[in-house]
Order: sequence, then C-alpha cells, then structure tokens
Amino acid sequence: MIRALTSVTGGLLFTIALPGIACAAAAAASGDDAANALAHDIYKELIEINTTDSVGNVTTAAEAMARRFLAAGFPAADVVVAGPTERKKNLVVRLHGTGKHKPVLLIGHLDVVEARREDWSTDPFKLVEQDGYFYGRGTLDMKSGDAIMATTLLRMRQQGFRPSRDIILALTAGEEGGCCNGVEWLLAHHRELIEAEFVLNHDGIAGYSILTEHGVPLAFDFSAAEKTYADYQLTVTNRGGHSSLPRPDNAIYELADAVLRVGRYTFPFELNEITRGFFTRMAGGGSDPTAADMRAILETPPDAAAIERLARRPEYASMMRTTCVATRLAGGHANNALPQRAEAVVNCRILPGHSKEDVRQELLRVLDDPRVTVRYVADDGQISDVAPAERGTAPSPLLPQLLAPLESAVSATWPHLKVVPFMNASATDGIYTRAAGLPTYGVAGIAIDRDDVRAHGRDERIAVASFYTGNEFYYRFLTAVTAH
Amino acid sequence: MRQAHTVKAAALALRAAALGGLWLTMLAGAQAVAAGAAAQQASDALAHDILKQLVEINTTDSVGSVSTAAEAMAQRLRAAGFTAADLAVLGPEERKKNLVVRLRGSGAHKPVLLLGHLDVVEARREDWSTDPFAFIEKDGYFYGRGTLDMKGPDAIMVASLMRLKREGFRPARDVILALTADEEGGCCNGVQWLLDNHRELIDAELVLNQDDYSVQLVNGRPLFFSVDAIEKAYADYQLEVTSPGGHSSEPSADNAILTLTRGLNRLGDYPFPFELNSVTREYYRRMADIESGPLAADMRAVLEVPPDPRAVARLSADPVQYWETHTTCVPTRLEAGHANNALPQRAQAVVNCRILPGHSRREIQQLLRSVLADAAIAVRYIASDGRVLAQAPEQPPFPPQPLLPELMKPLERVVGEVWPNLKVIPYLTPGASDSAHTAAVGWPSYTFAGLAVDPSDDREHGRDERLGVESFYRGNEFFYRFLKVFADR
Repeated sequence: MIRALTSVTGGLLFTIALPGIACAAAAAASGDDAANALAHDIYKELIEINTTDSVGNVTTAAEAMARRFLAAGFPAADVVVAGPTERKKNLVVRLHGTGKHKPVLLIGHLDVVEARREDWSTDPFKLVEQDGYFYGRGTLDMKSGDAIMATTLLRMRQQGFRPSRDIILALTAGEEGGCCNGVEWLLAHHRELIEAEFVLNHDGIAGYSILTEHGVPLAFDFSAAEKTYADYQLTVTNRGGHSSLPRPDNAIYELADAVLRVGRYTFPFELNEITRGFFTRMAGGGSDPTAADMRAILETPPDAAAIERLARRPEYASMMRTTCVATRLAGGHANNALPQRAEAVVNCRILPGHSKEDVRQELLRVLDDPRVTVRYVADDGQISDVAPAERGTAPSPLLPQLLAPLESAVSATWPHLKVVPFMNASATDGIYTRAAGLPTYGVAGIAIDRDDVRAHGRDERIAVASFYTGNEFYYRFLTAVTAH
Repeated sequence: MRQAHTVKAAALALRAAALGGLWLTMLAGAQAVAAGAAAQQASDALAHDILKQLVEINTTDSVGSVSTAAEAMAQRLRAAGFTAADLAVLGPEERKKNLVVRLRGSGAHKPVLLLGHLDVVEARREDWSTDPFAFIEKDGYFYGRGTLDMKGPDAIMVASLMRLKREGFRPARDVILALTADEEGGCCNGVQWLLDNHRELIDAELVLNQDDYSVQLVNGRPLFFSVDAIEKAYADYQLEVTSPGGHSSEPSADNAILTLTRGLNRLGDYPFPFELNSVTREYYRRMADIESGPLAADMRAVLEVPPDPRAVARLSADPVQYWETHTTCVPTRLEAGHANNALPQRAQAVVNCRILPGHSRREIQQLLRSVLADAAIAVRYIASDGRVLAQAPEQPPFPPQPLLPELMKPLERVVGEVWPNLKVIPYLTPGASDSAHTAAVGWPSYTFAGLAVDPSDDREHGRDERLGVESFYRGNEFFYRFLKVFADR
C-alpha cells in the first residue's frame, strides 16, 4: 500500500470485544496444516526475492509463482507473465469456475518499499521467524497477502473446487512507486485477462484489515472507498535583502499567515455510502455519547454539534471531511538575510467526488492572498500550476453478494467481530480498478496490533499466528464468495 | 554588512569641517593631472581584475573557501613586492584562512588596521538572473555575489596597497590590511580569531573597516558621507517546536508547524519600543535644525522627556527612522517536516535581531519568550559559530566611538575632493560588522567605504547583488587618495 498508514478505527470501539475472542482467534488459527506449510513456503520464497524498485526484480517473483501454478496443474494458457519491462512483469492466473457469474479479480502487489540492511535488526530479505513473529520486508505489505492468495488458489485447485465464477489472481509490479504500475498496465493492455465483476484487493489498509489492541481484535475494516492523495506547494517570494533592515513585507510572515489560514479552515462535512456505513456500524445500538453523536450526524440535516465533537478525533474527522495539513516548511537562505522565498507543503486527503484542482481552488479561496501561489506537486515531484481535474473515484457499492460471505467468514474466524466498511485515507491499487469502473474492496484477514504497524518501516513484521489465521480466513472467505 | 542611512537630504546640512584641499587640487598642473589620470586608470584596471577574481572564487560558508581567496590576494601582493615577513595567510581551518599584510611605515604613529571580510552570504543560482559566482558587467553595473558586500571594497583595498607599495610610499604609520573569514557567519570569525591568536599581527591604534557604503544616492545625487561610529548588536535565535508527528492522513488539530507559525504571527505584531541613545539624540537634534515643517517638529518632540507619543508614532512610520530607533527582530529562516505525507515532528525558525545599545542578547532572548507567549516554543541562542545555546550571552554593547581628529580631518578633506561639497556625518548603523570585535578590545573602530549606492537599489545579501561601475572606480580613487593623506601624517 502506498504512502504508509492510517491508524483507522483501532481502539475506538465502544463495544469492546469479549475477552474470550482472542483465544477463539488463536484456536481458529491452526487451520489446515498442509495449507499453512504451503503458505509458509511461498511466503519465504517471496520475501527472499528482492522486489524493490532500486535493485529488485518483480519478474523473478512473478515467474516463481507461475512455476508453482504450472506444477499444480494450471494450464499454461491460464498462467500469464507479462509486463512492459524486464524487471516489472506481472503474473495473471485464472482458476476457471462454472461461469454462473462474472469473474472476481484478486489483486496483490509483489513489489516492496526499499529496506536497508543497516537500518534493520535482521536481513530484510530473509524471512526470519523469531519470538512469534515473521520478520522481513513485505511480511505485512504485502507478500503475506500474496502468499495467502496464491495458497488459496492452489488449495482450491488441488481440491478440485469449481467456483461459481472464474477467480483471477493478478500479482503485480510498481504499486509502491517506480515506472510501471502493473494494475494500470494490465487494465490498459490486457484488460481481457482481468475483466471482472468486482475486485478484491488484499492490500486492505496496509496489508491488514484488523487492528488489535493487546491482542484483542477491534473491528474488521474492509475498505470500499479511498480518499485521493494530493500535495500542494505554497510559495511566497520576496526581493529579500539584509536582515538589519526588516520591512513589513516578509516572505516568512506571509507564509505563516497562509499556513495558519489553512490550519483554521475545515472543509465541508460530507458522507458517502461507505462512511455512512462506517458510522452506522460503529454506532450500532451503543448508548454512550459517541454512539449517539454518530447516529446524530447521520440524520438529515446532520447535527452540527455532534459533527464538531466527533471531528475532534482525527480518525473520525478524516472520514467526514477532506483534510489538508501543512507537513513541511522551508524558507530563507541565511540567518542574516531577509528571506527571498518561503515554501510550505500542504498535504490533502480528498473525499471521493472532488478533484485535486477543486481542492487547489478551495485553498486559493481560503488563502485569499495574491502573494501566495498554490501549485500542485505530482507523485514524481513535478510541480505544476494547475492540478488534475479528474474527480476522485466513487466509493464502491456495498454488494450483498460480497457482504454476506464476508460477514460469515469473519464471524467463523473471529466470533462477534464487527465488519465495518471503511474509507482509506491513502491510496492503493484500488484507485486504478475503481477508475476503470470495477467495484473494489480491500479485504485481508491479517490482524496487526495498533501500536505495531511497521509497513514501510524497519523490522517489518507480523505475528506468526496472524499469518496462519489470515490464511485460513481467506480460504473460507473466497470459498464463500464463489460458492453460489 | 549594511546600514540604514536616513534618506533625508537635509542631513547634508550637518556642519562639517571646512574643506581646504579642494582648491589646491584644482590648481594642480595639467601634466600632473594627466600622469595621475594614467596611474588611476591602471589602478582601476587592477581593481577590476581583483574584483572579478574575488567574485569568481566562491567564499560561501556552505561550499566556498575563503582560503582560496586569501591565497589569491597573497599572490598578487607578493608580486607587488610585499615580502614573506609582511604577509601571512593563516587561520583555524582549511577553508577559513585569513590574509594579513603590512605596509611598513616610519613608525611615527601606531599602526592603522584596515578590515575587510572575504566571505559572502549564500546565493543560489535559481534565485538569480545571472550566475552569482560569475562576474558580469552589464548596463553600467558589476553583478555577482559580494560585488557590494564586500569584495568591491576588498579589491579596492588590495589595489590601493599594491599601488602604494609600487610607488615606494612610506607612511607615517604601518598600514595593516586584514582580509578575513566568516563575518557573515560560520565557525571561524577571522577578526576574532586573529585577536585571540595573533594579536601582534594586527595590533593597531585605530581600525578602519570598509564594510559599508558611505555615499547615499537619491535620484543619482550623493546626499552625505556617513561614518558608522556605533552599531547595533547582532543576534540569531532559534525557535523550535516539537510534536509527536504521525501520518498526515489524519491531521490532529495542532502540530509543530501551526504552533510555530502562531508564534511568528505574534512576533510580527509585537511593537518594539522607541529608544534613543546619545548618537541618535544628537542626530535628531541636528536634523531638526535642517528639516522644516511637521517633520522637524516631530524630531524635536521625540527629544522631549518624555517623548511625545504621537510624534514617536509618526516618525516610526518611516521605515528608516524605525530602524534607527528600535531593536528589530525578523524571521529569516524556516524549516519543518521530513516528508510530504507525515505530520511534522519538528518545526524551526531563525529569528535575527539587531539590538540597540544598552540591551544584552540575553535580555532580548527573554523578550522573545514573552512575546511568543507559548512554552511549547523553545527560544535558544545561535552563537556565531553555529552552536545552539540554551542561554544567550550578556554581550557588552558597542560603545559610541570618539570622533578622532586624525581620522575626521583627512576624511573630510578627501571626501570633499572626490564628491565636492559632500558632508561627513557620524552614524548609528543598524547593521553589524566585524568592528564590534575590535571595538570590544578598545580599538576605536569606524566603518565606511567610498561606494555610492541608492538605498532603494541596495541588494546586499539579496538576489542580483550589484555595484555601479562608476561607483566602484570612484571608490577606488577615493580610497587610494584618502589612505595616502591619512597615513602620511
């Protein structure tokens, strides 16, 4: 998952899970020993193939997976390795179903973010099992998911399972950055290979769907919408001069005013199907004030005081508003010279239905100061006067054919755990599939402690039990989705 | 370094000593004038070459080398006949060496020390219209970082010393020239280092620092020739706010950047008090006699005890009068955040203050804390070597310097020759220069240079720094003539 993490709903449930649940989860984790052994082997193989953009090779990982599918009896025609450059090839595998429904597409990225040996306690490109954890780059984001999805397909094939729809698995390149996003490339060049009714992205939030607190799962957040990520550069220039002669016009003061104006501004309150679902399910029938506020903001018109109270929690504010925050400042070139330039980076997370240019215009309106320019900073660092005008992708509808099997698989694995629709505040490959009109859902049975999310960081890890539970969950879930 | 000259032309009327030299000069024989003109032309060409060479040696603290410039000047001085005994290049580190050269005199008087710094403020190619480290002559100006501050005066001093040496001139006192490092900041202020480690090399009766232009132009006309005899104290403070950070997708209501910018807002709004000292009192007393109408009345009114608050407000509305009568603090740098998509864990600003005599750096540190009014904003002092200290030092103020006749007389004479009728006035400069170091050890120190600049086009430390070609050559002629007259008695 791109651009690190959001802290999600963790710890905010008012109906805290019963103490017995953790034990139930652990019990369910044993699952099928052979399937777990297979998942472990694939996991290890993937972790130990370096798939970073700098020196790694996604093609090597894609081909290693292809060999496993061919060995398991998948016909060569259903195992395709293709991509635009030598190091950035993607794997597409199809498990044929009865054809009763249109196919489902599973996506997972094979590439990982950079990891330097000297930053880590262990070699990031070795799968190390230690103290109940798997360590290695991609253990969470998201070679665990890749291994689990591959294992699930191999297991179904071995069992001769005939799903009600084709199951297509695409393991792809370039999600974390680099030249060649595999999902985008497949949509543009081989759409027929991945055409589907809907998409299941194992990236979830950042390779997981469950946050735990002291081992207790809080909620199963399946993502069905994404905010759009955008950086803007605010710039003030000035003729500068010697600091012994300060003038009223000063680039730093003018920029400080602009940053404060952005800080004071709140974007309009706005809910969509997914965030309504989020607040509805989070509130449930709870009798505490927060639950009451959540119900109050769902009224028409919404209760303004309740919005105000909930918005004090950043994790709720991000679900009901576009947010913009200044993340960087730079200004001046010498202690004893008046600044000739002062700049701020403002990072925005934009609600579905609004474009990056809409937000740039809104910032200009809020700043109301011709001395401050607002430019758009693209992902590759390029700066342009105008931002893209395309609207962010719409939330994916809460399809009953997906929700019912998800709830049954979740409750079979973690009894009583809430299933909550979720809007990601940062981007995954789901932006490409949603933009192509394919409803997309982030579902991963991996549970991570809320204080231990190490995706993109050093000593990335997941609990061994979490991996095996996630493997068992996914098999249950996918079987249920494709059973009827 | 730079100053805030008053823009009031009325300052011209300040009483200056009667000029004796003008007529003598005009009566000089035509032949002598022609020979002098040829020598001046040769000196101008030399000064031009030296300035070009100096500008094109990057002497910034970040990537430049002052030593390279010092060595280049040493090479020229050796070629002009200065011997190893009278020439030293030395300093505490590889990139920060200083040049000290001595033109031997008869010893009738104690030496005079000429000061110039070789380092320049940072300049980024992308901010400038031309390469700041390429010397460019265009439309009557020399462009390049340091043309004004202060490689122009450095080149003039070196050219003048070479000319006097080649002429076999024997002054009545040794003339020592020190070209030094880190006046603009950095680890190793050359003047301080020489005072601490090689005082014998620069020991002098008085100090003439060329780090300021003296001739203020308004609409192309010179108004007066200023001699800085008192300085504000220079101080940098670091403002720092830390916060836990986190992912930017869920911004909290507060973060380090907002806390810092709120503090800066308060600083921008703070009214520093109006203050006078002995020099500025004298200044307004004289100006009030020259000015007329409401302005003159206001100047008198601020001299009352207590000063008339409305007159103070009106006078302070003029930026130049404001700088003269207020301590100033202004943010000059900002730095915050480590990634576009992460909440900032740290936000910092540098606030640069110019402190009126009578206040210590520690006092201003306390003042900043109370103005910022937020315990979350740490206020620390940045020493000249870049170290950040919890406590600012108690700095002795730059005392008003006595107006020595052995300086003022020749200065007034030669100024009057080069710019007929131009008056010399003592001045409080809001800038800070290396004169603070030499004044602190008790050597009377004065800052002036015969360069003419329009204050509205003063680009020291800024982009596209420049110096008028005509101004440079006139300054070169002035300094040579002044030095000869001054050192001859």
